[in-house]
Amino acid sequence: MNAPTDLLYTDQHEWIRVQGRMGTVGISDFAQNALGDVTFVDLPAVGTVLARGAEACAIESCKAASGIYAPAAGKVTEVNAALADDPGLVNREPYGKGWLFQLEIADPSDLDRLMQAAQYREFCAKEA
Amino acid sequence: MPKRTVLFDRHERLGGRIVDFHGWLLPVQYEGILAEHAHCRQSVVVFDTCHMGQIAIRGSDAAGELSRLLTQDAAALPVGRARYGLLLNERGGILDDTILLRLADDEFLLVVNAGPRDSDFDWLAWHMSRSVTLEDRSQSWGKLDVQGPGSFAALRPLVDAHLEKLAYFHVVRAQCCGRQAIVSRTGYTGELGYEIFLPMEDVPAVFDELLSREAVRPAGLGARDSLRLEMCYPLYGQDIDEETTPLEADLGRFVDLRREFMGAAALRAVAAVGVRRRLVAFRAETRRRAESGMEIAAPDGRIVGAVTSAAFAPSLGVSIAMGYVEAACAHSGAAMSIRHARGELPVVQADKPLYKQGACRTIVPGL
Repeated sequence: MNAPTDLLYTDQHEWIRVQGRMGTVGISDFAQNALGDVTFVDLPAVGTVLARGAEACAIESCKAASGIYAPAAGKVTEVNAALADDPGLVNREPYGKGWLFQLEIADPSDLDRLMQAAQYREFCAKEA
Repeated sequence: MPKRTVLFDRHERLGGRIVDFHGWLLPVQYEGILAEHAHCRQSVVVFDTCHMGQIAIRGSDAAGELSRLLTQDAAALPVGRARYGLLLNERGGILDDTILLRLADDEFLLVVNAGPRDSDFDWLAWHMSRSVTLEDRSQSWGKLDVQGPGSFAALRPLVDAHLEKLAYFHVVRAQCCGRQAIVSRTGYTGELGYEIFLPMEDVPAVFDELLSREAVRPAGLGARDSLRLEMCYPLYGQDIDEETTPLEADLGRFVDLRREFMGAAALRAVAAVGVRRRLVAFRAETRRRAESGMEIAAPDGRIVGAVTSAAFAPSLGVSIAMGYVEAACAHSGAAMSIRHARGELPVVQADKPLYKQGACRTIVPGL
């Protein structure tokens, strides 16, 4: 299972890449594999203000529909428009072109609660 | 304790993701539902359908007794033909949907669903004359579904019968990989396809032989569901059950009300006053899909029905659904709205099947 070390992870299998006050959010390789083929991503509206842990959007796969939760509180500044025509990007490049949305992080201390890659790998090993 | 089919170890070895389906451990997918769906539409796949029930009915009274208990007119079914139809209770409620194969004047095979297979057998045993021999051979016989435009080319070298002469819903006894088998040109995908019935011990060898052909890939329950829903084939336990009649389920063409059979009187009474609801198909304009149980609203906001099946339709690029709506609202082209957990999902009622390129009825296979 692939989990890059420059990201932080939630126990709901979202990742966040932090650059200053901005965070890019997606789902992990473990999550995309468990979901199977993604067929639709219901993205949040730009400008949406999210509380930490609030449902930000939903991902539908052939098998299931899953909520995606904000790893940190903040405002949605951008969404990945490419997913409308090609939601399979979430499967093929979960840490790259399959990102979901960008967040202006309201409180950086939210990030302290997230897992580092090594810890997240252990967490997934227990879930599998 | 969930049951395993004779192919369970092979499913695991092929990377199948195993789920519990009506008490059977079966793969929902191998490489992925979308890829398997596309491969069935474009080439050829094989499904393990050994969980399904097979009931053999023999005796000089078999045709008459089956005609009395099924919507299929068994007495009028020629040897070497198969017909889809229903097992109904006295109220016209659907106990199961079935395919009846006539193998000889006095020998039939009834293919039933995994869920109700034991209750189907008990029902037949209770209602049939003792002069008819009933044998539940679900444990001793298995089935493989070979489906897709490439199925003829994949199967022809393995079967000693004239496969090119086997028309849609025709059946033949043949040797398959040198083993006794029954081959019918039937399926649940809308594509050209065959179902191979075999003694259970012969199933693994034939499965292996099929998969050794370059074009053939295994497909799981996930693709089976999206393929059947694109064709608007109902799934027993989901779109139809004991509380629905064939008239409501849009299966009236499989029911001849001039004939006498279990449930016919109740259906004639329903037909006289008209059905209250009807199973219709929907097409969305987006990929977002509904889920079974979601309410269906008319343009004025009134709830007129509920979804029974829904999926993303890979061949159409949008989501689709089936559901029951009030009979007065059942019009192809009618715009409706599904009450989705995340807002309204606009849909349009569409003619069945939703996928229209399926070549299951093609006259000359392999072209």
